[in-house]
Formats: sequence, C-alpha cells, structure tokens
Amino acid sequence: MIYEEFLLDDKALIYLDNAATSYPKPAGCMLRALARYIELGVSPSRGGYDLAREAETAVSDVRHALRCFFGADENYPVCFGSNATDALNTLIQGLTEPGDHVVSTCLEHNSVLRPLHHLRAQGRIEFDLAEFDASGFVNPDDIAAMIRPHTRMVVINHASNVLGTVQPVSAIGEICRNKGIPLILDVSQSAGAIPIEMKKWNVSGLAFTGHKSLLSPSGIGGLIIHPDLPIRSIRFGGTGIDSGNLFHTQTFPHRLEAGTLNLLGILALGESLLYLQERETQGYRPREMWLTERLRDGFSEIYGIDQYAVQSLENHLPLLTCNVRGYAAADVGAILDGDFNIAVRAGLHCAPLVHERLGTAPNGAIRFSVGFLNSIDSIDSAISAMSIIARNA
Amino acid sequence: MDAHSGDHQADHGPCVRVMDSRKILFDGEGFLNDFDDWSETVFETLAKERGLTQITDQHLRVVRFMREYYAYHGRAPMNRQLKEGTGLSVMALEKVFPDGLKHGARRLSGLPNPKTCN
Repeated sequence: MIYEEFLLDDKALIYLDNAATSYPKPAGCMLRALARYIELGVSPSRGGYDLAREAETAVSDVRHALRCFFGADENYPVCFGSNATDALNTLIQGLTEPGDHVVSTCLEHNSVLRPLHHLRAQGRIEFDLAEFDASGFVNPDDIAAMIRPHTRMVVINHASNVLGTVQPVSAIGEICRNKGIPLILDVSQSAGAIPIEMKKWNVSGLAFTGHKSLLSPSGIGGLIIHPDLPIRSIRFGGTGIDSGNLFHTQTFPHRLEAGTLNLLGILALGESLLYLQERETQGYRPREMWLTERLRDGFSEIYGIDQYAVQSLENHLPLLTCNVRGYAAADVGAILDGDFNIAVRAGLHCAPLVHERLGTAPNGAIRFSVGFLNSIDSIDSAISAMSIIARNA
Repeated sequence: MDAHSGDHQADHGPCVRVMDSRKILFDGEGFLNDFDDWSETVFETLAKERGLTQITDQHLRVVRFMREYYAYHGRAPMNRQLKEGTGLSVMALEKVFPDGLKHGARRLSGLPNPKTCN
C-alpha cells in the first residue's frame, strides 16, 4: 500500500539518505499540488481578479497550516523563502547590527556557520560557539554562560544533521526568555520528524525547509517569527502591494518576502502537511526509530565499524553516522551505491565543526538516514553490505 | 590506508611541482589542476609516492578508462559506469589503488578534485 502512495518499486534502490532530502515524495500530494497549480497558477495577490485572490487564499491557508504544525499563534508571521539556508540568512542578517554578539553551537550546519563567519569577517559581529558532549548534546548552561550584554540572538540547530541528536530546546528557550534574547531555531532536520512547539519553547524565529521530513519538493522553505521580533528586510523588491512606495513594504509577511512566491512549492507543502498529519496517527515515527535501532545494533556487531553518538537513541532522529576502519568515507559511499544499490551520504555533511570534534575531518563519515519507505529488509541489506565491506578492509 | 589518519586528504594548499620535465600545478589535496598535465610518467611518479610500486595492466586499464571517459563526457564516470568500464566491482576497484577510489584512482588518473560530499 505505502509503495503505491509513493509510486515506487520496492525492489528499487535502497534509499537511506532521507536526512539530505526525503525520497521519493508522496506522489498523491505532488499530483494534487500540480493539479491545483495548473488551475490556480497565477501570481498570488498580484491583481484584483478573482483567480489571483483565490491563489492568495491558497497561500494563506498554507501559512495557517504551518503555524498549527509548528505550534505558533495565529499572529506569528510566516514568510516563505526557498529553503532553511535562505531563511537563516534572513534571520541572522535581519536581526544583527554592527557590534552585536551571537551565541551558537559547534553542531551547526554551514547554513548558520557561514553567515556568522562572513559577518564576523566584515567586522559586523562576533560570536561564540558552545561545544557538544560525547553523546552529541549541547548543555544549556554553556549557552547561558556565553550570553553577554550585547548578545543579539542565540541560534541553534534543533537536531544535528550529522549525529541526529535532538537538542534541549525547551531549556535553552527558557534561558533566552529570562534574558530577553531571541532564540532562533533551525528545524531543517527535525521538522516533520518530531513534534515542534515554537511558542511553548519560547522560540522567536524558526527556519524550515520543505524538502526533508516535510516531504515537499526542494525550493520551498521559510521562517516563522514572533510578532514582536525586531527584524529588518534584507532583500527589497516587489511585494504586490503599496507599489507607489519606493521602499520595501514593512508589514508582514511582505517585509521578509521579495518577488513572486514559489506557488507550486507552497501548494505541495500544504498537501504534504496534510499527509503528515494523517500519517502521524499511523505511528510512522516509532517505526523509523525502531529501524534505526536495528541498524545501530547490526552495525555494533560488525568489527571495524565506528559509530558516533548512538549509545542511546533517546532524543534522536532516525539517522546514524559511522565509519569503516581502513576506508575513506567517500569510497564506502561509492561501494554501497555501485555494488549494493544503497544510497547514503558520505563526507562532512556541510557541518565541518562536528566532524572536527569527532576526529573524522577531513574525510567525514557515512550517514544512514531512515525514512517512510525503508523496510526491515532494506535495513538488513545495509547491515549485510557494511559487514562485507568491513571484512574486506 | 587509514581513513582516520587522513594525511593525504588534508588540504595543504596548492603547489607547483616539476614532473616529466614540466611544472605542474596541484591543488591542496594533490589533484592535478589541469587534466592535460597528466602523462604516464606523472602517473608513475605519483603512484610511487603513494606506495604503488608495481603498476600492473589492471592499474593502467582503470586509469585509461577513467581518463577516456572524462575526456569524452567531461565528467567522471558514475559508479555503475566505472564497474561496466573496468569489469571490476567498486569494492575491488577500491582495493586496486593504495588510497582507494577518490584519493587513489581518481587522483592518479588526473581527474579534477570533485570537492563534493559523495
């Protein structure tokens, strides 16, 4: 049944790279979105004709669905962009002023590290990065200790894309609330994989992407912010309203959106959110974790495989990262693909500081990430393949 | 070969070396900067440095296939094409060169550094 939903042959490639992007996407969602786009595909809110207003209503419905999905109030602006990197750039550059200080962590993806490094190189900001422990978690007390009088924001990865560890956001949010500092949360890996409560956790800005566990196409993402967050526009242009004004519209969501929206991506995201809510009741999350446990336990039995931060899979996403002694990670990825038809992600995963701390830089490691469609057989095939590779080292 | 020591994978910055009576530019990971700078003499010199002292017909077959493929298609062969073109499994190919595929076969064949997460 599930394979039919995804229009996939269950004998095809064993796809264990869901943390990079979920594959395949639910075919029904994509086809419904495409049908709606064919019907509604005009420029939303640009023009007073009914179809443009209808398209705008469809976009507003998805903004509303996102607020519900992420535990935000109805007055929280939802602004669309192309992905989480785009949203994080908007948040980091739109919030910081010259002389500001930022607190972040060594678990971050380059989507946070690179904007921070560029801003520091320009002399605009300084920052401190909290370390993670041997289990892959950041200590909220370390974050608190780094906060200075001129700290403008704390920006953290909800779940590490290398280790899969889910950070104690609620405790960090409490610290930020008490100190009056916005907490910016990157939910690229966690959105759609585990529940997220933006308001409850005192998150002031949340950056998401559609193409991972939200099961949407690539090219759609965005941010949700607390209505009082003092954020500036960092891009300027058409918004479809207030056209006589030569300065960018400052009402939300327009303040952080410039140019025509990705309507097809937004419609697909809306369909995927509905699909996820349906699947939620069918218990897919425990199943993915159970398969991850099976993978971890299988790898533990193989001499020559080193796994990272998987002693416990509590507060963990369904992914794990490892190396085979005697092989470069990239070569293991190539062997898994070429000889076993298994797709994984090898390398530094755009998170170089994690690998530096693990001692796996510059080669990186091999990441297996479980998704909806992985069966017990596919997990066992991965274990068996890794066993053969390790024996040949 | 130790995936964790990674000395040959570390980026030491670009350098110019004299090989086969020519000045040749290498990138920081020891990949040729220019595909056309490769010659069998350059290959033999680099191979020896990496501990490959006995070059066999199999090594030459793999290297020639990779170069011909790159020259014709403008990109490195995919894993399945590598298997078809050499008649070896990817795992067997990894064993043929002391530094494996990316840092062995690909580098010694003079293909550009992919610089990607694979």
